[in-house]
Amino acid sequence: MMSSKYIQEEFSDIIDDIFDKKTGRRSFLKGMAGLAAAGSSLTLAGCSNNSPFSEENILRLKEYFKGNFTLMSQEDKNATIKRLERLAKIKDGLDLKISSKGPIPNVLFGFALNVSRCEGFMDCVQACVDENNIDRKTKTQCIRVFEIEHGEMNVQSGNGKYFHEVPVDNHFYMGVQCFQCENAPCIKACPTKATWREDDGIVVVDYNWCIGCRYCQAACPYWGRRFNWNDPYIPAEELTRKQHYLGNRIRPKGTMEKCTFCIQRTRTGRLPACVEICPTGSRVFGNLLDPKSEIRFVLENKKVFRMKEDLGTDPKFWYFVD
Amino acid sequence: MKTVSEFYKMAMVVMQVVFLFYGCQQGSHDNDVNSRIKNAKTVMESQPETGETTMVLSNTVIAQVKHKDVPFRVETRKDVMERFKCSECHIGKKVHVTKADKVAHGNIKKLHGNKERPLACNTCHMKDERDFLVTEKGVKIDFNHSYQLCGHCHFREKADWVGGAHGKRVSFWAGERVVQNCTECHDPHSPKLTKRWPKTYSLPLSE
Repeated sequence: MMSSKYIQEEFSDIIDDIFDKKTGRRSFLKGMAGLAAAGSSLTLAGCSNNSPFSEENILRLKEYFKGNFTLMSQEDKNATIKRLERLAKIKDGLDLKISSKGPIPNVLFGFALNVSRCEGFMDCVQACVDENNIDRKTKTQCIRVFEIEHGEMNVQSGNGKYFHEVPVDNHFYMGVQCFQCENAPCIKACPTKATWREDDGIVVVDYNWCIGCRYCQAACPYWGRRFNWNDPYIPAEELTRKQHYLGNRIRPKGTMEKCTFCIQRTRTGRLPACVEICPTGSRVFGNLLDPKSEIRFVLENKKVFRMKEDLGTDPKFWYFVD
Repeated sequence: MKTVSEFYKMAMVVMQVVFLFYGCQQGSHDNDVNSRIKNAKTVMESQPETGETTMVLSNTVIAQVKHKDVPFRVETRKDVMERFKCSECHIGKKVHVTKADKVAHGNIKKLHGNKERPLACNTCHMKDERDFLVTEKGVKIDFNHSYQLCGHCHFREKADWVGGAHGKRVSFWAGERVVQNCTECHDPHSPKLTKRWPKTYSLPLSE
């Protein structure tokens, strides 16, 4: 059993954290009234440990009162990551490594997909699900590949749920995912500023700041966003343990998620999972600001187009043909 | 005395200037991707190092071609080939072992080139020195640089491969560029990718 003195000290700390000032014993008692309200919502959320003063509940309480990621200092970021890692350890016995690595200077990520070379094998779809800890129960996927007849240029005429031997003659395959628009409609639609564009061009979501209103999903003209209907179910042996705060960490129920160009990989110099797995080499990824990069070679030497370019969303995802 | 119409004219001029200025502001897309690319001031000598780009370079060689004067690396071929060195059997004279061709090379399906006039073994393999490849013109080519041979006919693909629009980069977009050789994806004896079932499937769009 924990002593009452320990509890008092611990809660005093929490209140200091939340209200950002030193509390005496008198103000501590005042704070308890507020905590009772917060505590009731926590018990509803379901705690494995019955004690309201368990380590898990204290961590959850601190998590509940944290700020938007864009307003956090580096210490705040480190603290919340430590809490998230510890919570995962207590709850599921998982050893996670969550990063909060910021954008690399002078980097703007760009993506190109060769529609004349893609053969519709869908290895990218599976690799994306595996890498990004996407819920397996609802079979959510962040990439959708359309099978389109030659001569058609409309994705809506394509078959997005094919399952037969590929490639089929006289058809081409066109993968669709979040295009990380420079002028993204989803960012404008968000009422809580839970989604924004980072300096390296990736549109990210603060999963703890998202209220799940799905306005962004309605605003996106590319069907680029997904909603978490459940607490994601991922078998422990399939879980990617190297995570990023804005990327593939396990999203809470009722929040939006999307493709982040595998932010946890690309910010450490690696290729996104879909690019690395692609068996045909149709996917090209790189730094748009580097004139010697592969993506720039594609933009300068191949016939490229962007989807629904007339909307002015300015995506950083090009399709090209040989 | 200033009339009302004079005042009206002046107001119009002011408004026109305001609209012109506003129009200019709207017309210049300083923030779109294309102008950001064009306005990128710092020319980077190489991709930025991110601290974690430690590439194992043991099974790569520096390619004999460059893209925009930047050398890059290619994955080696000799160490993954099943029966290299060829000179262990082919030492300049006939191999006198019963059914040696079936045992050693029976698994090779030759589906390369025109159907009426398919390629022969010696179109690519050097007859005198079996450890090397050879072009039509008789230029000796190392197995690690087999892209030079492929590029002899498939020159458009090779140009794309050198630039990065064809083929695959290995693991990292940053740091030293390492790409796969042609033969990582294409079996040189039957280079077309085979049809297969997709890895997974998608549910119908419900939203």
